[in-house]
Amino acid sequence: MTHEKVDTRVFTATVVVVGPQDRLADAAGALEALGEIGVRAILISEGEHSSPPARVAENAITINGLAPRFLNNAVASLRLSSLPALVWWRGGSGEALDDLATLADRLVLDVDAPEEAWRRAPGYFEQTAVTDLRWSRLTRWRSALAHLFDLPPVLESASSFRRLAIDASDPHAARLFAGWLRSRLRWTSDVAIEIAVHEAGGKHVSPLMKVTLEAPNLWISLDRKAGGGCLAATVEGLDASTRIVPLGDGSLASLMAEELGVRTRDAAFEQALTMAQEIAV
Amino acid sequence: MPSGANPLLDGLRIEPTPEPTALVIFGASGDLTRRKLLPALYQLARGQRLPARFSVIGVARSAMSDDAFRQQFHDSLKEFAGLANPDEVSTALAANMHYIAGEMDDAGLYERLRATLNDGGAPDGILYYLAIPPAVYGTVVEHLGRARLVTQDDGHGWRRVIVEKPFGTDLESARALNRLLHQHLDESQIFRIDHYLGKETVQNLLVFRFANGMFEPVWNRRYIDHVQITAAETVGVERRASYYEGAGALRDMVQNHLMQVLALIAMEPPIAFSAENVRDRKIDALMSVQPVLDGGDGSVVRAQYGAGWVNGTEVPGYREEEGVAQRSTTETFVALRLQLDSWRWAGVPFYIRSGKRMPKRTTEIAIQFRRPPLHIFKKISPTSVAPNLLVVNVQPDEGISIRFEAKLPGSRMQLAPVMMNFRYGSAFARGVPEAYETLLLDAMLGDPTLFARHDFVEASWALITPVHEAWAASGAM
Repeated sequence: MTHEKVDTRVFTATVVVVGPQDRLADAAGALEALGEIGVRAILISEGEHSSPPARVAENAITINGLAPRFLNNAVASLRLSSLPALVWWRGGSGEALDDLATLADRLVLDVDAPEEAWRRAPGYFEQTAVTDLRWSRLTRWRSALAHLFDLPPVLESASSFRRLAIDASDPHAARLFAGWLRSRLRWTSDVAIEIAVHEAGGKHVSPLMKVTLEAPNLWISLDRKAGGGCLAATVEGLDASTRIVPLGDGSLASLMAEELGVRTRDAAFEQALTMAQEIAV
Repeated sequence: MPSGANPLLDGLRIEPTPEPTALVIFGASGDLTRRKLLPALYQLARGQRLPARFSVIGVARSAMSDDAFRQQFHDSLKEFAGLANPDEVSTALAANMHYIAGEMDDAGLYERLRATLNDGGAPDGILYYLAIPPAVYGTVVEHLGRARLVTQDDGHGWRRVIVEKPFGTDLESARALNRLLHQHLDESQIFRIDHYLGKETVQNLLVFRFANGMFEPVWNRRYIDHVQITAAETVGVERRASYYEGAGALRDMVQNHLMQVLALIAMEPPIAFSAENVRDRKIDALMSVQPVLDGGDGSVVRAQYGAGWVNGTEVPGYREEEGVAQRSTTETFVALRLQLDSWRWAGVPFYIRSGKRMPKRTTEIAIQFRRPPLHIFKKISPTSVAPNLLVVNVQPDEGISIRFEAKLPGSRMQLAPVMMNFRYGSAFARGVPEAYETLLLDAMLGDPTLFARHDFVEASWALITPVHEAWAASGAM
């Protein structure tokens, strides 16, 4: 008798992906690409059926066309109590999102038009760790800017900024970024925030293209370099300095790998999201 | 706006970066710089770990322009970091690289260095890296001291010096080197680099022992039978004969790397993960090692590799290697049996061995536990029970394995040892940084936890030097 060697993976989480059917395939691919970070995937698209058939594969269960009112029941019965549950919300009805938020240890919002989800999100803050995948896409941008604030002259000028300009391909990411700065630097409304939306270009997709921060004696810019893979972070004024940092691959798999490493609430995100909703494009 | 802390770091899962720094590399045209330091700087830049204002000043005897030094940087990335063509990160880093040629004993060199450092404003921190032969350490430190280039007198800005091994060749020379360094530098400014301490698995020893509740209770003489620390290389002396002839395996590997590993295994729990607490507990462990004397009782074994075949290629014996004396007594293999006179380890032998041209390249720590007091399965499964083994693989394939007994599937009760494995490469979705990345960054951040303190270096030499003296007295190998 021969035994085939089976690759073993230790499950670290159940990931429940909810969204339109066309957005489940790339999510499933991203979870599969996580390799040895084993996750148990439950992929659900909304529809009108009360008990559509479930397709069960080795590490994934797929249910297509489930009526929103049954969604929480399905997830509650399929999730394992021994594993943390991450809900990856890629679209659906607001009521179903409310229901799922109560079952999630972590809720990752990932919808093109986030207004409704963002409006509901503060209501979940006390029950689960909420984030938006845009927030992870902004990590390199936020890090690059944060590192410039390690320079004492920049930190000392933090309260004197008068204008923030953002060129973005994703206006909501720009709002989140602006909301982050407004909350962290405790800006009042006298700091002008301008967001301009442009078509994304190049093979590297990044939510932002350029960020400029202006104070009377200081000028900071984050500028996506021509190839798109790197970011130039520049300070001019009191202290001149430029650093070039890679933007990372930004793939869904790498973003989810990052999300799976987090279990706790992110106060910086919560405050940024609250502020972002006050910022218009 | 609150003052002091950087408010934008809150919630960002990133580490702080050092203050604006200039890194001055003495020995900038050498092998260590090309192979390790320059690639490490590039990786740090990619990971956004370098400060916003960062420059590199290479210093060496060879004449070279700034542009040639920058080209050497790109060449080293091509050869040792797999970067075929310069990218935006390497180009930006290279733009802040400069080179100064000169003799290390020329006072003018240090004036030129001062001018370059001040060009564009003096940085907050200056890190000097001595990637030069130990014989020149004294000259360089003396000149840096005289030129007040290592003086921290204004309360701002820091000056630190990284010293590469070997830290002396015996106890006396180590003490002399420390005395010389302390003439111009405070101990807090000296970072004696031992790249083993920068390896993830070695650092993980502390986490493994002190962040888990299940291992520390059995980490003592009641449960552990013996400890083996092995550093085996498949390569021979290669092009290092001129150095190795005067060093040998005991100086090259045991006195520094393996003693550090031993201390991490044997140390008592520190009260906090701070540099001084960790280093205090390590020196305690090292001080408990009983003197090693090669008195013919088998506590010390040395050997040289002979000629043979490796992977189908004929290789020479050590004495036939280029640059090695025909009657050389330099050991290429050494094994020690050490006893620690401590409450925790009394009676538990620590076996340390290191050698070149071994069948397999591996650095590992094997902790063998005592067998169960009673073999209740001996009638139904007469094969003896293998003792539990905890293996920490330092390199290659970093990870931890535990061997335990399991029942063989089947109707009969039969036992067989099985392994439970943790591998860094597969368990985490991120690469393991090179040791030099970790250590360079720690030195810039002023964290000496992973660097050797002067008392550790001297205590280690105090153990090793009598062995060398005994060998010198006995002559032949």
